[in-house]
Amino acid sequence: MKLNIDGLLVYFPYDYIYPEQYSYMLELKRTLDAKGHGVLEMPSGTGKTISLLSLIVAYQKAFPLEVTKLIYCSRTVPEIEKVVEELRKLMEFYCKQTGESNNFLALALSSRKNLCIHPEVSSLRFGKEVDGKCHSLTASYIRAQRHSDPNLPSCRFYEEFDSVGRQVPLPPGIYNLDDLKDFGRRKGWCPYYLARYSIMHANIVVYSYHYLLDPKIADLVSKELAKKSVVVFDEAHNIDNVCIDSMSVNITRRTLDRCQNNVDTLQNTISKIKETDAAKLKEEYRRLVEGLKEANVARETDVYLANPVLPDEILQEAVPGTIRTAEHFVGFLRRFMEYLKSRLRVHHVVQESTPQFLKDIFEKVCIDRKPLRFCAERLQSLLRTLEIADIADFSAVTLIANFATLVSTYSQGFTIIIEPFEDRTPTIANPVLHFSCMDPSIAIKPVFQRFQSVVITSGTLSPLDIYPRILDFRPVTMASFTMTLARTCLCPLIVGRGNDQVALSSKFETREDFAVIRNYGNLLLEMSAIVPDGIVAFFTSYMYMENIVASWYEQGILENIQRNKLIFIETPDAAETSMALEKYQEACENGRGAILLSVARGKVSEGIDFVHHFGRAVIMFGVPYVYTQSRILKARLEYLRDHFQIRENDFLTFDAMRHAAQCVGRAIRGKTDYGLMIFADKRYARADKRGKLPRWIQEHISDGSLNLTVDEAIQLSKHFLRQMAQPFRQEDQLGLSLLTLEQLESEEVLQKIAKIAHQT
Amino acid sequence: MDEEPERAKRWEGGYERTWEVLKEDESGSLKATVEDILFQSKRKRVIENHGQVRLGMMRHLYVLIDCSRSMEDQDLKPNRLASTLKLMEAFVDEYFDQNPISQVGIITTKNKRAEKLTDLAGNPKKHIAALKKAVDTLCVGEPSLYNSLNLAIQTLKHMPGHTSREILIILSSLTTCDPASIYELIKTLKSLKVRVSVIGLSAEVRVCTVLTRETGGSYHVILDESHFRELLMLHVKPPPASSSSECSLIRMGFPQHTIASLTDQGAKPSFSMSHLDNSSGPGLSLEGYFCPQCHAKYTELPVECKVCGLTLVLAPHLARSFHHLFPLQAFTESSVEELQEDRFCQACQGELKDKIIFTCPSCRSVFCVECDLFIHDSLHCCPCCIHSQSTS
Repeated sequence: MKLNIDGLLVYFPYDYIYPEQYSYMLELKRTLDAKGHGVLEMPSGTGKTISLLSLIVAYQKAFPLEVTKLIYCSRTVPEIEKVVEELRKLMEFYCKQTGESNNFLALALSSRKNLCIHPEVSSLRFGKEVDGKCHSLTASYIRAQRHSDPNLPSCRFYEEFDSVGRQVPLPPGIYNLDDLKDFGRRKGWCPYYLARYSIMHANIVVYSYHYLLDPKIADLVSKELAKKSVVVFDEAHNIDNVCIDSMSVNITRRTLDRCQNNVDTLQNTISKIKETDAAKLKEEYRRLVEGLKEANVARETDVYLANPVLPDEILQEAVPGTIRTAEHFVGFLRRFMEYLKSRLRVHHVVQESTPQFLKDIFEKVCIDRKPLRFCAERLQSLLRTLEIADIADFSAVTLIANFATLVSTYSQGFTIIIEPFEDRTPTIANPVLHFSCMDPSIAIKPVFQRFQSVVITSGTLSPLDIYPRILDFRPVTMASFTMTLARTCLCPLIVGRGNDQVALSSKFETREDFAVIRNYGNLLLEMSAIVPDGIVAFFTSYMYMENIVASWYEQGILENIQRNKLIFIETPDAAETSMALEKYQEACENGRGAILLSVARGKVSEGIDFVHHFGRAVIMFGVPYVYTQSRILKARLEYLRDHFQIRENDFLTFDAMRHAAQCVGRAIRGKTDYGLMIFADKRYARADKRGKLPRWIQEHISDGSLNLTVDEAIQLSKHFLRQMAQPFRQEDQLGLSLLTLEQLESEEVLQKIAKIAHQT
Repeated sequence: MDEEPERAKRWEGGYERTWEVLKEDESGSLKATVEDILFQSKRKRVIENHGQVRLGMMRHLYVLIDCSRSMEDQDLKPNRLASTLKLMEAFVDEYFDQNPISQVGIITTKNKRAEKLTDLAGNPKKHIAALKKAVDTLCVGEPSLYNSLNLAIQTLKHMPGHTSREILIILSSLTTCDPASIYELIKTLKSLKVRVSVIGLSAEVRVCTVLTRETGGSYHVILDESHFRELLMLHVKPPPASSSSECSLIRMGFPQHTIASLTDQGAKPSFSMSHLDNSSGPGLSLEGYFCPQCHAKYTELPVECKVCGLTLVLAPHLARSFHHLFPLQAFTESSVEELQEDRFCQACQGELKDKIIFTCPSCRSVFCVECDLFIHDSLHCCPCCIHSQSTS
């Protein structure tokens, strides 16, 4: 249907529209008009993706000069594929309606592992291996060498692309990863480089977060994207953690050992080259004297994405003399490494700020701040000069060099923690140096500064106001949308007591309490008898799950549960978990029924959807607080308090509740779906916890369902499940939660729609 | 429908939140809609049954009753099993009342096994006796959909093609314990044109959804006991026959009731053929129906002759099945405000309290919802039309 969104003609590829989609598009339009950033929360399964795509594509068509490109960031490959499929549907609809052929280019981009079509390289199993192998075939100096020695191996796809592919742009169309591969095979071009090249002139790019947020990759892939782009981060409830991870470095003894090897190799190569080709090293030296002027020029023209690792002022300086020659640099690296080794030889935990660290390193081994800053850049230059093909082997030394640059560049927002052993195994010495980023805004700042509009959206973003604070940006729109429902298809219940009135809680003090564990077991047992097909139960951590399950086993609860349903358990091992998931789904499918025990923050809670019968109930045992004894977390909390005025407790609760919401939200993936959401902890009843749940869940928690006993919860659930099993057809939704175009245009409905968005 | 089951004692009942029923709702979209939907479907049922469709009048129906552990649940009083069996008795009665030339068999499943309670037969008494006896069975273990469906297929597949083959499952458990993939069995059921319907006693189970969707049956889950009865009675009406089922002429015998002693003084009391296999019941009698083909004697009809296989029925039986083909027209629905005269239902003489009333299109009489349902479900003719016919 064709919609009129605030004066903009939007083609929407479906015959019906949810009221909240309409409302969402209105808000989105406002954000784009203001050329600002937005935070939008809309429940999963209400068609967020298609609303986003149809509005932005319409905007692009209407104002081709205002918005030139849509950059859609998603988290996993399947999600990327889903977005592309939606886009394909939209474009087909455009073609049918306007009769013109499609002139849009949209494509997905992923790692080499997912895109490589070279017969040998693509058969490798790990992403790193593929990258390394690819590099060893396609690096510029390798190819240069091949001119003199044609017998060297090459990648014919890359060669073909390089000689022909750049002149001919990718024809307009929608390309997912498989399409790109097909196209590449047909033409004999390398799909990966083709995609990387084509994103420059594509109208829509769909790729993973890391291509924008991780400084190392962003520098390679995304730095030339136009400023007038709209960036969308989907499923962005974890975006701060992604930012932090991309800037943090962990160094163990093993890293240092491998680094030692790397440095030895460098040394050998240098001495070899010196004998054969001394001119090359001289050339490099000359370049370094001139400084990084070139890079600087590029940055000024405002096409480049600022690299957070390397601030502007560095680029204006020349590489300091102490590390200009190759031998000196290698010696420098050695010294730095020895220093790190000595630091790892600690018996107690050390925590210090970056200035402290720099002072210490200056006193101990006389390493100045300035050369440290240039470490990463200098290493890259060296690797290039030495013509080392397989960069993958040098990951350890690259890591150390990156660390050196980061530690000397940022005096704030980072902390260094050296732990001699892990908390769980205090007897085994396993020293780790955590260089941890505490300020997610560092990584994402260039994105906000550069692009015209950045939209952060997810099903669970509540409380909305905390994201702008921790990411340090100013949004023009912040809105939370509810789900309009023709029938109440979600049933959140807070179970606070057992049948014997024992308060249920995963609080630290009551963790070992027998009565609580028994009551949790009872809850699961009784639920397993009344909920059909699949139940997903989330625990707060693997440890907690192990304890509880062991205790259930001893009490015979597991045996009783197994009479009703089969039990599957998520483990930290990915292969095991995916096997368990597969079997779980099979058991749900053939009527046996199954329970999946898993962990909040685990793989299952983040990426797996349990539609319809795969998840009729989600039980959240306890509040999934992050492990509060971790020193990294403590440092981060302190930082948040000092710099963003966010109290520790507020942040912890926010973090716990977003994960809880994420877990229970797994069960409802659309309006025809239904599911129970059981919060088994009395702390959920408190206003500060409840108030942080997304609005679409909150509004269905009635005062009566705040502190239920297990029995009461069972009664309510039984009733709910029976009601939901009554036949429900599309006609019942029409007019209420599903609108035709005529209905959408009526005054009354528009008034209702205005209430859906909740501005904050 | 004044036969609302007697309310259980307060302390026996589940948690009820009577205050929540009264919840006010500004947007008019959240609560009360489920009831609304139910009401609509009730109406729809009456309406959609009208229309000229071929119906499978000769039905072979197997009822599978779950007797697993979950049947001991006391949310239906006194427990699910007793309640189900009681309703089943009513169902069997009603079934034979409306479909005299059809047959029913009952299968129970528990402890991963299936066993036949009664074979396919056209005599309600035997079924009811078996159902009465089954009240005392112990409910243990899990049910097995696969085994019980398999057992039903064994018999149903030998039934002639012109009859409709049906299975009705009353499933209380939420799990099934199957020896093999049930999806294979569903394919078989589909190819044999067996229609499987399910009434769930607790919640919607995926495998049943697929089973009923694939075989063209219906799937319902009960809300409470009266809803259960309603759903069960839905299955009394013959389902539309699939267009691909064969047509054939059926030989039927119409024996007359004769008392042997009237014509032949020397006649001796004899056994009825249907009593041969079970020794209980009245034995010798003088009168009975004699098969026109082989003169075997039966005391009750309808029956399939044990000797020559002829279907023996009485003319009224056929007539009773007949009305399904020419159902009463749907009454027109209108708002109570439009009514100028006294607001009384013509049938029950009660005051019209609901907002919607129903008018018979031919005699313009007005009825309430309940009477409308009663007329369409049980009477199959408008009482006012009949009345005016007789007076004129």
